Amino acid sequence: MSELLKNIVRFVLLMFVQLFILNNIMLNGFVQPYLYMLFILLLPFQTPRWFLLILGAATGWVMDNFMHTPGLHAAACTVVAYLRPFLIGVLSPQGGFEDLHRSPSPATMGFGKFFFYAGMLVLIHHLVYFSLEILSFQDLAYLATKILVSTLVTLLLIFVYGLLFFEWKAVRR
Amino acid sequence: MRNLILFIRRYFNLLLFITIELVCLNQVFTQNPFQQTVFLQFSEEWMGNLYQRYHRIMSYFHLKEVNDSLLAENARLRNALRNNFTRPDTSQIVVRDTAQHRQYLYLPAEVVNNSIIHASNYFTIHRGRLEGVEPHMGVISPNGVAGVVVQVSNHYALVMSLLHKESRISVRLKRTGDIGYVYWDGHNSYTAILADIPRSVNLYRNDTVVTSGFSIMFPPGLPVGFVEKIAHQPASNFQIARIRLATNFSRLRYVYVIKNFDAAEQTQIESNIPKP
Repeated sequence: MSELLKNIVRFVLLMFVQLFILNNIMLNGFVQPYLYMLFILLLPFQTPRWFLLILGAATGWVMDNFMHTPGLHAAACTVVAYLRPFLIGVLSPQGGFEDLHRSPSPATMGFGKFFFYAGMLVLIHHLVYFSLEILSFQDLAYLATKILVSTLVTLLLIFVYGLLFFEWKAVRR
Repeated sequence: MRNLILFIRRYFNLLLFITIELVCLNQVFTQNPFQQTVFLQFSEEWMGNLYQRYHRIMSYFHLKEVNDSLLAENARLRNALRNNFTRPDTSQIVVRDTAQHRQYLYLPAEVVNNSIIHASNYFTIHRGRLEGVEPHMGVISPNGVAGVVVQVSNHYALVMSLLHKESRISVRLKRTGDIGYVYWDGHNSYTAILADIPRSVNLYRNDTVVTSGFSIMFPPGLPVGFVEKIAHQPASNFQIARIRLATNFSRLRYVYVIKNFDAAEQTQIESNIPKP
């Protein structure tokens, strides 16, 4: 399956899961995992940065249209898409990741690095999203707890997703 | 121009990011009712703060005009000062004169409520117990007798007007010195009845009727009214007359409460009169 088709399928799948399953699971109205942004995380390494930004904004925009939250997800996803290359740059070894044609995964980055990468970006996404959504810093503890718990649940979901779809061992081509 | 293009090319991603982010945030704050409300509140508060600072600075440049207007206002208020006092009047001037014995002290007061249309009229003055007013003190207007204090609270006193069916004032004809008394018959607010003047006295129109000084309330010689119309009573040794009151009760504004330092002494000695 070509990389493009793979990403399109992943996009549709993640949107589907997010809209029809995860959005209906709100534990106590407190935990709101947003798994769909995994799409941005898993785009290929060599995606140009401007295209990343546009894809990020588009992903958020689609989500916004479904959830009736104009701009909220788009803003969060754009931040994630913008910061993604920097984080990859920090995490990449001396010569860059060996296979630039492929996308981030535990296999290409290493388990620890990948989850650090995912964790950071999910945290940023949730930070921006919930800050914009709640838009009040009166109850910082509530906001922080909500962000952290949601981030952890999203990471757990990414792990579950990984069990299903990731290649865990580097496959030589 | 070339530099600009270079700059845009160099920071293209950043600029694109900022652009997209601005579009998104614009959407967030214009299309979500909740976020819009919060944003408006926030901006209102901060812009208000900013404007306040701005005005605080700019106000220095208008100090001259402000001073002028304040000066004008000050002058206006100073002219209206009497009217603006709502506090009870506490002023009293006592001349210390050891050669003479002071018996009466006049305490100014403002009338805050007044009636003239009933059979028993009262008015209220803004000066009470704490300012030295006690029951049974006489009250005079600048022109003449006005009434007698009947009740006092801390800052107010209720005065029985001369226009009261039970008011009796001991008077004297200024010209001849004959005594009588004045009461109000409820006819109208500017006349009363002078009674108990002996028949032997020739009353004339415009004869001045003054207080006698017999009662503890009023010092002698205060004007009460002026004889208007004499009515002869054939069957009596006394004559009565309708008098025009010196005080204009419908315009009562400032009055003086009369404190009589010897009231207690006089009352005490008079209480020895054997009751019939």
